[in-house]
Amino acid sequence: MISNTLRFDPRQLRRTVLEMAYCGATVHIGCALSIVDILAVLYRNHLRYPANKPDAEGRDYLVLSKGHGVMAQYACMRELGWLDDAAIRGYFSDGTDLKGLSDSRVPGLEVTSGSLGHGFSVGVGLALAAKRLGTGQKTFAIVGDGEINEGPIWEGALFAAHHRLRDFMIIVDENGFQAMGTTSEVLALDSLERKLGAFGFEAVSVDGHDEAALDAAIAALGRSASPAPKAIVARTVKGKGVAFMENDNRWHYTRLTEDTYRQALACLDGDVA
Amino acid sequence: MRAAFSKGLADIARADPRVVLLTGDHGYALFDEFRRACPDQYINAGVAEQNMIGVAAGMARAGFRPYVYGLSAFIPIRVLEQIKIDLAHDRLPVVLIGDGAGFVYSHLGTSHQSTEDIAAARALPNLDVFSPADRHELARCLELSRQVSTTTYLRIGKADCGDVHPGPVAARPGELLRVRQGGGDLVFLATGSMVRTALDIAARAYPEASVWSAPFLKPIEAARVLDIAHGARAVVCMEEHSIYGGFGSLVSELVSEHAPVRVLRIGVADRFSHHCGTYDYLLREHGLDAEAVAARIGRFLTRA
Repeated sequence: MISNTLRFDPRQLRRTVLEMAYCGATVHIGCALSIVDILAVLYRNHLRYPANKPDAEGRDYLVLSKGHGVMAQYACMRELGWLDDAAIRGYFSDGTDLKGLSDSRVPGLEVTSGSLGHGFSVGVGLALAAKRLGTGQKTFAIVGDGEINEGPIWEGALFAAHHRLRDFMIIVDENGFQAMGTTSEVLALDSLERKLGAFGFEAVSVDGHDEAALDAAIAALGRSASPAPKAIVARTVKGKGVAFMENDNRWHYTRLTEDTYRQALACLDGDVA
Repeated sequence: MRAAFSKGLADIARADPRVVLLTGDHGYALFDEFRRACPDQYINAGVAEQNMIGVAAGMARAGFRPYVYGLSAFIPIRVLEQIKIDLAHDRLPVVLIGDGAGFVYSHLGTSHQSTEDIAAARALPNLDVFSPADRHELARCLELSRQVSTTTYLRIGKADCGDVHPGPVAARPGELLRVRQGGGDLVFLATGSMVRTALDIAARAYPEASVWSAPFLKPIEAARVLDIAHGARAVVCMEEHSIYGGFGSLVSELVSEHAPVRVLRIGVADRFSHHCGTYDYLLREHGLDAEAVAARIGRFLTRA
């Protein structure tokens, strides 16, 4: 089982995200920061990894379909001891393994994603397999609200509902932005809770930065008697935790300088998360 | 050939409970035996091929052995990126079956015809490509599919061309099979439906030609190809597929580097079908009927 002694402190996880982004001179910072609290709650209270092994048989499946947020998952994997400090600080160095998008060859990452709309369906397949084998494994798929433009998401939603994959949960990181603008500017989504509900999911919306609320929602859906697949629409803030990055889509593309890295860390430390 | 397919697949599922068959709402009567024998191993994933590949990937990751069925215009073409990222990237043991390859759906037009699938599939790392010519080769391909250690594309074209082998074949993966021993130094290499055509042409017009069938396009025994090409006066490659990137290209790539010989690529000349008609009509439209191919071979050899 997962060690419940680990804290997965969101502030510390965000520090790791910034550290990686600075060391690797990478982009995609805002979309990593928006899912930190979701990942913290999942790893701390919900995901089971027998013997704390990332590839243990019988583990629950965490599928990061929005592969762009992978730095937040690396941060959790550091806390789990699956990644060492050298891997974090050597991010993007020649010949290293941690890529800028989720890659299934890294133990702890279940899918290769980043081309959007892939991981979700793989997660549906994992959930179907678990159901058929009767293992009781849970599958969580984190999907971006921009990503949800992709057709296969909706194909997979039909499929998950049709096959009554009750242990499958989609968590939408609804940060309101996609690559080129807000979701309402680019391709309006309206209510994802209603849309997913209409597709046969038991769906709730929750503040994606309120750990207690997230935890309660995941737990409540887990206890549900309904055979329907589950959905959490997590209302989040792109760039959450660093005031000057919040809701500023430039931090999908901008790299940290020594100055902005220092400012970002200061922002985090002043944050009363 | 379709009966062999239907039975072969059901046998595989009966023997291995990890096997599941996913179809994208295709194969109407084809799976009757399978559904009778192994109803729990049959999943109609709906008209949603992209998700179907992802589901197959997830199930394979969890220990299942999925077979995914569709028309070759969709599996692999429509879902090429899912095959690349969800399956081949990790060598997941999923068998993709693309039925109706080439001009089988001759009356339905471009959307249901596929003459680019070998080229696309060959370029993906970790993806094996099988292309059987008759029921015996198909049975062998299915047999081998039970042990594959990577993602495999099984291309099935026109299914009623007749046998090219007198009985079951025990081919190694990658092996080319001689289906006709000629007395001379002319070599016909063919795959899929065109093996039958190659035999017919040899019997009718080029008795000196040896004819080889290639049921495995990737991996293929390169040394064998070179051995066959070595000393040949000319090699004629035949396929119901584009001349770009398919079997003729593959042979050309090998021999141009290691055993130069003149190669004639018989295939689809980089264009879509213009008209509607029977399968035989479309072969004529594309110059792939036995008469047109024989004439081209004649001109090619005269130019030598």
